[in-house]
Amino acid sequence: MTPEKANAMTTARIKRFSSVDRLYHLFLMLTFLIQSATGFSRLFFTTSWGKQLGNVFGGYDTSLTIHKWVGVFMMIGFVIHTIHLLTRVQWRNFPQSVFGPDSLVPNFKDAQNLWQRLRWFFGLGSPPKFDRWTYWEKFDYWAVYWGLPLLAVTGLMIMYPMVTSRLLPGWALNIAVLLHRAEAVLATSYIFIIHFFIGHLRPTSFPMNEAMFAGSIPLDEALEERPDWVARLSQEGPLELVNSKPPAPWYRVVYFVFGYAALACGVYLLINGIIHSGAVRLH
Amino acid sequence: MLDLVINHRSYLMMRTPYQRTVNIWATIALLLQVLITPNFAVAQEEVASALRRYKDREVSTGYYEEYEALPGRQRSPISVPSFSSSLRRGVLPLSRTAARVRIRTRLVDSHQGIKFYSVLRCEYCHVEQTKDIHTVRANLTCRQCHGREPISGIQFAFSPMNPIRRHAYVCAKCHEGASVSFATYVVHEPAAGSLTAKMDFPILYYSYWFIFLLLVGTLAFFIPHTFLVGVRELIGKVKKPKRDNERHDEGDDEQEDIELSDKPDDRRDDDRDDKQDDDIKRDDPGKG
Repeated sequence: MTPEKANAMTTARIKRFSSVDRLYHLFLMLTFLIQSATGFSRLFFTTSWGKQLGNVFGGYDTSLTIHKWVGVFMMIGFVIHTIHLLTRVQWRNFPQSVFGPDSLVPNFKDAQNLWQRLRWFFGLGSPPKFDRWTYWEKFDYWAVYWGLPLLAVTGLMIMYPMVTSRLLPGWALNIAVLLHRAEAVLATSYIFIIHFFIGHLRPTSFPMNEAMFAGSIPLDEALEERPDWVARLSQEGPLELVNSKPPAPWYRVVYFVFGYAALACGVYLLINGIIHSGAVRLH
Repeated sequence: MLDLVINHRSYLMMRTPYQRTVNIWATIALLLQVLITPNFAVAQEEVASALRRYKDREVSTGYYEEYEALPGRQRSPISVPSFSSSLRRGVLPLSRTAARVRIRTRLVDSHQGIKFYSVLRCEYCHVEQTKDIHTVRANLTCRQCHGREPISGIQFAFSPMNPIRRHAYVCAKCHEGASVSFATYVVHEPAAGSLTAKMDFPILYYSYWFIFLLLVGTLAFFIPHTFLVGVRELIGKVKKPKRDNERHDEGDDEQEDIELSDKPDDRRDDDRDDKQDDDIKRDDPGKG
């Protein structure tokens, strides 16, 4: 890396996430990790590791109480996020704003990008030029967006079985238990394997993709992977308008420590979950 | 006239030996019936008086709705899958008569005639039934729900496990307020992905395969995908200087893009000169 480039990296940056978006992500990180740990302690409670993990949260019963409360917080967060989302839609030019490049709604270009990227993996073409959101980022977002309500609904069903059995037949609880567990396994394995790899181990983001904490990314990073976004921004107006400050050094230290702590928690749960996977069934 | 009535009464009060034998035989028959009628199931005694039971409350409508068996009212609109009454075991379905004999759901003692029954443990035969949440997590023993000997078949009229009273006699011991609908929770559920589940509990079966294929499909796509991203980007990093040249020299697609982005860049350069921001300019791919 030339000194010029290093200089450019520290100065020219494009804003990518608002502070509210980052707050949502932080909230989701904390709640998701607590839910994973308490949930895993219940799931693996027949193993000695599961018992140890449960003891961290005060035992088998207390970890369930924590799981329920944090789950309720997540539901509240989801509702707030959805309301906030609806207020952020530009209703004046409705269909274009939702299916446009600044939206997370998947469109045909994502399918094209995916196909082009699969070809690029095997050296059959150039890498795709992404816009603001890549297809895997959109997948990440929508995976949480439908996974969380599923976990919430099935979780509420198990939390209030008497009320549930008034509205639905009692055997719906069998289905709820199955779906809650399987969706939780899907969510944790996706986050702890794929999301963590993309965020930390991927060569372009190693040692850590700071976008979600710093809020902005260096211009050269954006040009590398998202040239269409930069081109669109520069067509809309001078790039200085979207230029944002680099994160303060102390703040970088904080989020590096925090991010790696979260990573360690997740990897710890993942590895132990795999080791003890023989003791549990998906159903 | 009066005499006749009195005579008639005294005639009625007199009992012939024949009538006495009828009474004796009727008494014996009643006693026999009491002896051979199976015992009533042991109920959960949550009422204050075993004799009066709910009598002082029964006038209040709906107060005990969760405790009373009200099959018509409490059943939810969606019907229950025929799990327990399934006549199919193994490959071929049994006839109704054969099922009644082979499946012991209607017997007073469902373990009738089993050799050495008294020395066997439940889990010796019912292996799969010891793996559910109630047994593994709540640490319940079989007897805590199924009761003492004889363990009646669940369709037996007086069985506590009979669906008409299971919610009150069994479930409500722990789950306060269990209703008929609640009692349709399948405690000993079949393995969700199995063919047994497909026949006995199809919704569980299809939910399982839906979520399982979603799980496997997501991971099967994204793990190789992410791995390939890592490998490909690593190659790109190693060959970084060469790739920078490639961006400008070769590839028709690249050329088009540079042309496109050149136009706004010219405009931007003018703006930027005033604002003395040279870093962005230097980094621009269009500059060559």
